[in-house]
Amino acid sequence: MNLIAISINHRTAPVELREAVYLKEDEIQPFINLAKENQLKEGLVLSTCNRTEIFCIPTNADLSHEKIQDLLLKFKTAQNITEENFQKYFSKDAVKHLFGVATGIDSLLIGDNQVFKQVKDSFQMAEENNFAGYIMHRIFDAAIRTGKRAISETSISEGAVTVSYAAVQLTEKIFSNLSKKMALVIGAGETGEIAAKHLSERGIGSLAVTNRTQEKAEKLAQKLNAKVIPFSEFKDSIYKFDIIISATAAPEILLRKDDVKNALKKRNNNPMILMDIAVPRDIDPATKEIDYVFYHDLDSLNIIVEQNLAKRKSEIPKVEKIIEEELDNFWEWYNSLQAAPAIKDLRDMFEGIRNEEIEKNKNKFANEDQDKLDIVTKRIINKILHHPTIELRKAGESTDSTDSATKIGIIRDLFGIGTHKKSEKE
Amino acid sequence: MISGIHTINILLPIFYFVTLAVYFYDFLKGEKRFINIKRVFLFITLFLHLIYIVLRTIAFDHPPITNVFEIFTILAITISFSYFLVELVSDIRGTGPFIIILSLIFQIISSLYIQDLTEVKEVLRSNLLGIHVISALLGYSGFTISAVYGFLYLILYKDIKLNKFGLIFNRLPNLEVLERLSLYSAVIGFITLTIAIIIGIIWLPIAFPHFSYMDPKLIGTTLVWLLYAIGITSKIFGKWRGKKLVILSISGFTVAIISTILSNFLAQSFHSFY
Repeated sequence: MNLIAISINHRTAPVELREAVYLKEDEIQPFINLAKENQLKEGLVLSTCNRTEIFCIPTNADLSHEKIQDLLLKFKTAQNITEENFQKYFSKDAVKHLFGVATGIDSLLIGDNQVFKQVKDSFQMAEENNFAGYIMHRIFDAAIRTGKRAISETSISEGAVTVSYAAVQLTEKIFSNLSKKMALVIGAGETGEIAAKHLSERGIGSLAVTNRTQEKAEKLAQKLNAKVIPFSEFKDSIYKFDIIISATAAPEILLRKDDVKNALKKRNNNPMILMDIAVPRDIDPATKEIDYVFYHDLDSLNIIVEQNLAKRKSEIPKVEKIIEEELDNFWEWYNSLQAAPAIKDLRDMFEGIRNEEIEKNKNKFANEDQDKLDIVTKRIINKILHHPTIELRKAGESTDSTDSATKIGIIRDLFGIGTHKKSEKE
Repeated sequence: MISGIHTINILLPIFYFVTLAVYFYDFLKGEKRFINIKRVFLFITLFLHLIYIVLRTIAFDHPPITNVFEIFTILAITISFSYFLVELVSDIRGTGPFIIILSLIFQIISSLYIQDLTEVKEVLRSNLLGIHVISALLGYSGFTISAVYGFLYLILYKDIKLNKFGLIFNRLPNLEVLERLSLYSAVIGFITLTIAIIIGIIWLPIAFPHFSYMDPKLIGTTLVWLLYAIGITSKIFGKWRGKKLVILSISGFTVAIISTILSNFLAQSFHSFY
């Protein structure tokens, strides 16, 4: 298979180099057009903050990895990127690499299922831009199936692996229904925003934001459909909230033990969760001594993150097994796209149908006519199959392996031969 | 039929043990494929247990509620059956092993000491007694399950407070759910125990003209009833919640156990039938 892949990712390049070749959504289409002009007839472009990957099938069998690299670097006018910053894959290895990416085992955050969605999106993009042909479609189907199997058959994507998500997961171990709870996010920085987004996605009943700079709070509140509490007043209203996530850059403690104690009294001892994900801390750690107050800081949330990462790592062998299985299935299907076996399968199928019909209907003919029946039906089959056989032979002799595989694949699909193979069945 | 009863009597602890092992394995591994398998095991065990009770009732001409070892087998099935319903209705995983183990203990004791009684005291053949005992048993099953959920609440509460994010943290449902399950079980237990007490009050003077209100079982049961009444009322009025409530539930269960041991084995009580 003439599939070539290049990958620049978190393992091969620092963030500034990855940023330099990152293809924004509106850049992908022009890049695909450029690729098409440069002898790449089908392929896939995947670009995220952690990786940029190009998979393609060139029209010219001699086209090298370097040519694709140059194309990308020229398009992005990126400098300081060398050969070593790229991983190169060819044929079966390229398919295997794509499966690995789709399952998340190649991600910075192992099992990150965001990348699965990104792979899907990039295939859609390829399709919309007429960059996905017959073979790429098959590769896509197999990659998606592999990704889905990894998610459903293993725990590779289970558990929180970021601090802000761990904070939300922890709240779900205390409260059963977040839609009936109120949350306050102190600080409108990036960490606060992510935590607030997670809470919002989990269906928090009501969300409020407070920040020293009111404007920032209002901006975030607008984004998340949250209320704004003036920073000078937030201490007086903390009793209203079941969950408080603090992520400010304040150098001093914002919430003291007594503040929380008083709030709890006003709440009639209704449990309160305090997540302090700021450095330095915003909430007095002594609040953890109060009954019905669940105080957690970065250290404790990191315990959850580390545990989940370790668990995900231990799932990698299971995912690799799935990848191997799917790769074998895919390869078995791909190998069936050789001319000789395809001709044989096609003829066998027609011969099978002919025999079956003769067996069913031979009693309708006189004994002396049965030999003639056999000869006539054989002649019909030979005539029907004459042209497809010639075309298949021609495809087999073609120098463009992808083209011939596509032709043979379409004939196989058309006549339903070889559908017993798993990769095709699903 | 008798030999069949004896065989099932031996088989039941084994079935409960196997079911417990499957539930415990699922607790450790947490794999999706065990969800249905373990339920099938529990269902088969409960079905066998039901057959056993029906057979005993037919063979010995009375339901197995006339002495403590007969009652233990009923307790075993009611506890596991209640849990089975909880699991089906709430789809809550992870608490099974802590409840099924109680059924196993009750069934082992019952299987070891239960006897083939065909002769029972005339006083125990009353229909009112049947309702009295069954409602009392349902009450105690409710309290048992409530105490288990209360106990699990305390462990999880402590683990979260101390940043211990191990198996308990990963497998148990959240604190609010545990508290709710503990409360609901206690309420069901309280209602059925109240029914048992009312029937007892009606039936007692007829069956035992010389009974004493100072009987340890009566005092113990009254104490248990009062504890749960206080707890449930406090919850309704929003005064108590969480830790306080589950501690009360565990205390009520402890008093119930002590009272049962005292009245059945140590003190002289009209409740000691065996």
